[in-house]
Amino acid sequence: MLNQDHPDDERLSALAAGDTEATDDATLRAHVTSCDRCADAVRDIGVLRAALADLPDIAPHRPLRLLPPVEAETPSAADRLGLWARRLFAPALTAGAALAMVGVVGTALPTLGGMAQSGGADSASGPSERTAAVDAEASAGQELAAPFATGDAATGEADGGEGATTLGAGTDEEATEDVARDSAQADELFAERSPWPMVLFAGIALMIAAALLRWILVPRAG
Amino acid sequence: MAEAPKTTPAARTPPLQDEAAVIVRAAAGDRTAFTQLMEHYQSASYGLAWRILGDPDQAADATQDAFIHAYRAIKSYRGGIFRSWLLRITANASYDILRRAKRRPSSPLPDPEEGAPELPDAGAVNPLEEATKSELYRHLERALRLLPNDQRVAVVLCDVYGMDYNEVAAMTESALGTVKSRIHRGRLRLRELMAEHRELFLR
Repeated sequence: MLNQDHPDDERLSALAAGDTEATDDATLRAHVTSCDRCADAVRDIGVLRAALADLPDIAPHRPLRLLPPVEAETPSAADRLGLWARRLFAPALTAGAALAMVGVVGTALPTLGGMAQSGGADSASGPSERTAAVDAEASAGQELAAPFATGDAATGEADGGEGATTLGAGTDEEATEDVARDSAQADELFAERSPWPMVLFAGIALMIAAALLRWILVPRAG
Repeated sequence: MAEAPKTTPAARTPPLQDEAAVIVRAAAGDRTAFTQLMEHYQSASYGLAWRILGDPDQAADATQDAFIHAYRAIKSYRGGIFRSWLLRITANASYDILRRAKRRPSSPLPDPEEGAPELPDAGAVNPLEEATKSELYRHLERALRLLPNDQRVAVVLCDVYGMDYNEVAAMTESALGTVKSRIHRGRLRLRELMAEHRELFLR
């Protein structure tokens, strides 16, 4: 029989295994009964399958753990919370410590720097310079008022005295406004610095919260 | 040889005597009963894992993974042949390890006769096994190792452990046609590899 007449070898394997798609194929079965080569293949595969199905079990080469450890059981809700608290403890503590450190440095640097560095000196002396300027304006106002006072004094004591008082009062009000504005600016300067202590406290709070959560949620032995 | 028994061969672990009762106790959380079951079937599980992975340590790992899965799943065990149930779990655990090891599907296992891992003593379970059968098993195990990974896994699950094509396809996440083709090609290759040992089949 010519080679090209043989069915595909995979069909012979299917026939040997009793797959219905092959056993239902009358042409295939007819060919195998009349072809020694294909009959041999089907028989060999049948024998091979029987031997494979007969392969024995194999004893493990080392003792096996037959039971999973108790921890492998599904943890209770409380255990899971404890697990999370334990997992989050180290990162939260680290983050808290880092925050606190940043807070300490942030709080301390301007104070320390204020004594030594020019940047700090600027912010520290800013308000006092402005106060000096206000003093200068105020005294200038008084000087300006003075000639009127003296001029008025020449014409009439009572009027001049009144004018001098009015003018003097006016400059005093301006000066007070300036001082108020300047102190508001100073407050803003302080407000710009205020995040650092907050960061420090937030860091400490985070560390305390992590420690507390762990203490409360993680079950203790005994 | 063609008359060789296909179901529960002597060299394969038979069911425990009071298996149903032991399973009920294990499912109720009795750890001693579960241990008894695993101890009884450990050679069956390990044998399957070894044939899929071809490495003793990986096979031991896969078997222990399977026992952990079985421990969790036994509460939902709904009858059937316990050995088959455990072997399906073992096959999944073994295939997971095989996949994680990222072995190329087309490469075979290292040839035990060229060094590397020793073949287990096939007669260890049944010391009275005839010498001829032991020799046949040894050659068959070696021939299986020489198959490409994907063909070996398919032939082992189907022809050694009697799973049907659909089960093998689901387990290996492959198309049914692909699995059939792997099995057929694997058998044909095994036939070639075993050709020089024909006399062992005919005795």
